[in-house]
Amino acid sequence: MSRVVVIGAGLAGWVAANRLADNGHSVVLLHKGLGGLQLGQGSIDVFGYDPARVTNPIAAVAAASAPHPYATLGTGSVVAAVAYLKQLLPGLLVGDPEANYQLPTAVGAIRPTCLAQPSMIAGNAHDGASWVIVGLRRLKDFSAELIAANLSRTELPDGGRLQARAITIDVAARESEIDSTGLTFARAFDDPDFRKRFTAALAPQLKPGETVGLPAVLGLADPTAWSDVAANLGHDVFEIPLPPPSVLGMRLDQALRARALEAGVRVVPGVRTVAFDAEGGRVRSVSIATEPAPRSFTADAFVLATGGFESGALELDSYGQVHEALFDLPVTTVDTALFHGDYWGPEQPLFTIGVPVNAAMQPLDASGASVYANLHAAGGILAGNAGWRDKTGDGVAAASALAAADAIGKERP
Amino acid sequence: MRRLTADVVVIGGGSTGAGVVRDVAMRGYSAVLVERADLGQGTTGRFHGLLHSGGRYVVSDPESATECAQENAILTRIQSEAVEATGGYFVTCPGDDPEFADKFLAGATATGVPAREVNVSEALRNEPRINPGILRAVEVQDGTVDGWKLVWGAANSAREYGAEILTYHRVTKIETNGSAVTAVLCTDLRGGDEVLIDTNFVLNCAGPWAGQIAAMAGAHPVDVIPGRGIMIAMNHRLVNRVVNRLIYPADGDILVPAHTVSIIGTTDVKVDNPDHLKIEANEVQQMLDAGEVLVPGFRNSRALHAWAGARPLIKDDRVAASDTRHMSRGMAVIDHSERDGLDGMLTIGGGKLTTYRLMAEHITDAMCDKLGEKRACRTASEAIPGSESTRTHRVSDRLADREADRFDSQIICECELLSRKMFTDALAAQPNASFDDLRRQLRLGMGPCQGGFCSLRAGGIAVADGALDAERASGLFRLFLRNRWLGIWPILYGEQVRQTALDAWIFQGTLDTEHLPGPDAEAVEPDPTLAPTTTKES
Repeated sequence: MSRVVVIGAGLAGWVAANRLADNGHSVVLLHKGLGGLQLGQGSIDVFGYDPARVTNPIAAVAAASAPHPYATLGTGSVVAAVAYLKQLLPGLLVGDPEANYQLPTAVGAIRPTCLAQPSMIAGNAHDGASWVIVGLRRLKDFSAELIAANLSRTELPDGGRLQARAITIDVAARESEIDSTGLTFARAFDDPDFRKRFTAALAPQLKPGETVGLPAVLGLADPTAWSDVAANLGHDVFEIPLPPPSVLGMRLDQALRARALEAGVRVVPGVRTVAFDAEGGRVRSVSIATEPAPRSFTADAFVLATGGFESGALELDSYGQVHEALFDLPVTTVDTALFHGDYWGPEQPLFTIGVPVNAAMQPLDASGASVYANLHAAGGILAGNAGWRDKTGDGVAAASALAAADAIGKERP
Repeated sequence: MRRLTADVVVIGGGSTGAGVVRDVAMRGYSAVLVERADLGQGTTGRFHGLLHSGGRYVVSDPESATECAQENAILTRIQSEAVEATGGYFVTCPGDDPEFADKFLAGATATGVPAREVNVSEALRNEPRINPGILRAVEVQDGTVDGWKLVWGAANSAREYGAEILTYHRVTKIETNGSAVTAVLCTDLRGGDEVLIDTNFVLNCAGPWAGQIAAMAGAHPVDVIPGRGIMIAMNHRLVNRVVNRLIYPADGDILVPAHTVSIIGTTDVKVDNPDHLKIEANEVQQMLDAGEVLVPGFRNSRALHAWAGARPLIKDDRVAASDTRHMSRGMAVIDHSERDGLDGMLTIGGGKLTTYRLMAEHITDAMCDKLGEKRACRTASEAIPGSESTRTHRVSDRLADREADRFDSQIICECELLSRKMFTDALAAQPNASFDDLRRQLRLGMGPCQGGFCSLRAGGIAVADGALDAERASGLFRLFLRNRWLGIWPILYGEQVRQTALDAWIFQGTLDTEHLPGPDAEAVEPDPTLAPTTTKES
């Protein structure tokens, strides 16, 4: 059994840690804060736009070409990753890798995604649906009126239309607080008494047959909160993801963390990994910033799952140079300016920059050789794609984490 | 066609035009101000926020120095709401000539600019972030001024005296009978109507666009040489006083603490077209280097936003046309009756925001002379609405306000402590406003997240309250983010890259905003030339 250190607690870090533990390794996961899951939509994207709207994500993966990471990962690893995620999170993720859901967002767009939480799937948009979007007066990041009106003026992916109206109700998550976060509401929804008050306020306003769209705050600790609300209302309900902090994402984070702990992963939270030690082409240890002295973790292999530009894993300095923050790994370059001036235009070239890897997810130098034989990278740090626009970020994270973990398994001494 | 009649038509809704329409109205003339965009959308909104003490000019331009000192005192009194009395330092940085301070102090005495040399240790104690190697420090009465509040204050004062303010109206023609102005024709860019204003007098206050306006009346060309200057807003207040380099005026010689940010400025490059002002990468590097001199470690601070403004300099034969910094910044009034045989039009150029009231006084005096009338200027003595108390603004004011109303109104912009009520009140008062128009008055989206959270909230609230329909609200918030980006990408590095990535994750990733139906730019932008003045190249 070898020792492996995983750095980062986003989707890639958790998948890698779980897989490594399942493969029999002794795993330590170091992370600074909550990872990218809390920033996202709380479902698992595989491929959303190529750039046309994708209905079969696996078919789109098969058609991906370099520099997209899917070109290196291949269809098989994505299929395996989707299956592994469903196995890790039974009951929390449902869906078919060959069919996307089309789910509403908090601005009223219809967004493709592959695996969703059961609390989301009644929002799969289809012709003739009759929805009521319900806002909470004290939750400012969810405007039911905007969402319902935008949904109503949208031609659905299947060519049809749905009807959505809006209701805003006023139920306080905390007495006298007018400005409550989604997290505060989620904790309130964990309380059955609050759920009763909420349904009492809402139920009289619903019309028969309507499906109820709610901000994704239906409980954080209690996985039955959303189905309890649905039962109390006597209507199908679905959750719509909010801007960060994402309660849906936090549920995935909690479940993956719990699964990792159960599998024997040692999790060290709240620490920034700042330095490393290498010899003979291998990383020997990494160090975390602790007082009064840094503390180092020695291992046989390392998985770098620290994220991309949003986390600071990749940095752009004031002279225009991109750096990988921990190992100073070589990064790809672009032959254009790093940015262009059209915010809604094509992907900003900077965000395609990242760490180049081989099929074993080993970072590569300019000659194509691995930089450190026992270092593997996964997730947002990889070159080729930021994943936001084409909705591939989760699939890349899970598949690359699985590939990294399995590569370590294969080289086990 | 809509038809109006006015004694005077003021063209240009920057500080000069707003000051002029106030002065004209206070002297009893009926007046209409015509502005092609929003008030303060041009040069007035694109400066560093400095209310000059006069110190910057005590050596290079003594006349301006005296005017600045006097107008600083007047504005601090009559427009206290727009002014923060920060105070300022002029500091000799390592490598700068320490003897310049002697010239400076002598110049200050000669020009009546209050200035006092202080111990370096005192200056460093008060402003611990500035270069510890400074050799000398002079304290002055620099302040900061919110250009938009200043302009809106003057315009609102003018309205109280009966003036009409027409924003988003583009002048298309100045009609004459061959020897005198008879009317101004303009287009309501938001409503689409033509508006004809019968008048006998036009005051051309269009700043860098004054030459274009003069040409519409058939006047000989007025040589306005737009001098482009870039400014960069850094997150937080690196200094709490204005900090100037104690040298002859130069690029990057000032750091201004304005509201929640610190603004470094500026450059000066002659340009041809004031509608297209680039933010060049080499000038950005120049500003960052200059910042390092004033505040070591400047490059590690977070740059939030950059913009470029065009100084409205009137050509002066005493200096080469390419050297705009050393043209006199004094104001110039061009009398078109002597020059072009056209009665009823004056063009004003030059000047600076600090002296906007004085400029207005001069041009209005000149107009009264032309009309053969004696009407006294009263703008220096009467407070502008909202500033009656003479209490100056403090950076902590909004925090105090939010502490007071935190149980009543949500905060929709945490960066700038903007309440929901402030936003809905402003939108109710200006139902046709773009989010950028509201930003200029409310500071919506001007903090670190640059609209990342507040823009969606603004759109959602506007629809929830029935103020906008979803299509327009969606278009406005997408346009707002697109316009914010124009000032972000030229200076993007460091921590702001993380913010940009987060915002992209939210808007593209989680919300899938680009797949909302509808045209990319709804009917929310009156004219493509009015997009924020950076270009997509470079």
